[in-house]
Amino acid sequence: MEETISLHDLFRVLKRRSVFIISTALLAVILSGIISYLFLTPIYQASTQILINQKQTEQIQVNAQDIQTNIQLINTYTVIIKSPAILTKVIENLDLDTTPAKLEKKIKVETTQDSQVIKISVNDPEHYRSVDIANTIVEVLQEEIQILMNVNNVYILSPAVYLENPTPAKPNPLLNMTIAAVSGLMIGVGMAFLINYLDMTVKTERDIEELLGFPVIGIVSPISEVDVNKIKGLLGRIWRRGRQGV
Amino acid sequence: MFKKRKKNTQTASRKLVTRDAPKSITLEQFRMIRENINFLSPDKKVKTLLFTSSSSGEGKSTMAANVAIVFAQAGKRVLLVDADMRKPTTHYTFKSTISPGLSHLLTKQRGLDEVIKRTHFKGLELVTCGKMPINPAELLSSKVMEDLIIEMKSKYDIIIIDAPPILLVADAQILSNKCDGTILVVSSGETEKNNAKKAKGLLENSKANVLGVILNNYKLEKDHYYYNYNSAKE
Repeated sequence: MEETISLHDLFRVLKRRSVFIISTALLAVILSGIISYLFLTPIYQASTQILINQKQTEQIQVNAQDIQTNIQLINTYTVIIKSPAILTKVIENLDLDTTPAKLEKKIKVETTQDSQVIKISVNDPEHYRSVDIANTIVEVLQEEIQILMNVNNVYILSPAVYLENPTPAKPNPLLNMTIAAVSGLMIGVGMAFLINYLDMTVKTERDIEELLGFPVIGIVSPISEVDVNKIKGLLGRIWRRGRQGV
Repeated sequence: MFKKRKKNTQTASRKLVTRDAPKSITLEQFRMIRENINFLSPDKKVKTLLFTSSSSGEGKSTMAANVAIVFAQAGKRVLLVDADMRKPTTHYTFKSTISPGLSHLLTKQRGLDEVIKRTHFKGLELVTCGKMPINPAELLSSKVMEDLIIEMKSKYDIIIIDAPPILLVADAQILSNKCDGTILVVSSGETEKNNAKKAKGLLENSKANVLGVILNNYKLEKDHYYYNYNSAKE
């Protein structure tokens, strides 16, 4: 529009639409709460840590080439962990009803920069199964590595354990609801400004003076319900009295 | 946006606030309108006041009725004329009968004294619509109407005429030319800016003396209340 919008006007719009904005945010929170608690299947996560140790050689001095070799070794291992060679065995061992490709999606392999520790995380709707898969992967890896690489250098640092009261890793209802609240607020504010922008009606005295150039000789606010009820009663009485008089 | 869809439930009892809630802010607002009308026309006495709006449902009849009441409260002899012969409402507002009324006057079937109706408000009398005519614009533009206004002026201090919306039919334009002052009712959050502009153009074309605008349905903010209250009291 042609007029410049002042900060004051912006606040007025926000104030006037505050109910709308807050209800948008609330609605978003409630929706995300319902979805997180009722519709999303909880996913449990179990993780193990393994250490990849290069076979001890007689040389004590560590040189740059060794470090390079280590990094390559770690990268190789992360690929091996997710390879069908390992996962097929895991499925066989645990008698899972899945395919290596599907199983791979549940597995996350993380390496810490410049370390020989690999963290394997497994997501599954069942807590015990995620633990089983994580542990089996490591066991299978230990066996297979001897065949594949002809070394025995995988050490388990911390195996996955069964928990009494496992808390699902996903979904995180509180996080979801917080995100929903923030985005709901933003959408609400955006909509409020949009509605205000699209609203081509006369609003204030200033609008009239700018638009028409006529003086505003009065403003009338909507008649409140209390007034209306008072009037109803009174008019009724007057009406009855009038009729009695006749 | 959604608010606009909400239909105005225009029941008769909803409309008159000026007598029955004497402390209400609405009454103060109408008193302020009355004083402003008096102040706006100090030299030339405005005796006939026309109420119109750009489109329907903006509160013309409510404003006209309430302004008529506050004038009557100030001790004036007031006549409220329902010239909206397409959608007459005044007889509902004052729980009166529609006939006989203005259409009978304009067709010379009755005299002014025969159609005047008294109200519960001292000093306020009514001319309702009468039998709804098929050609209101022609009736209102006739010489009879001019004579009628002269006759009314001789008997009353102030004549308030409730006209149809100016954008829809020619009636308001015709009448505004015959009246001393025209008041445009604009409903906050309802009247389209374009329509308000068009209404202004039409009023200028008919050489109406536009006294000003009443902004209806204006939701007061808290601090606004005191401002209004004080300025109305002065």
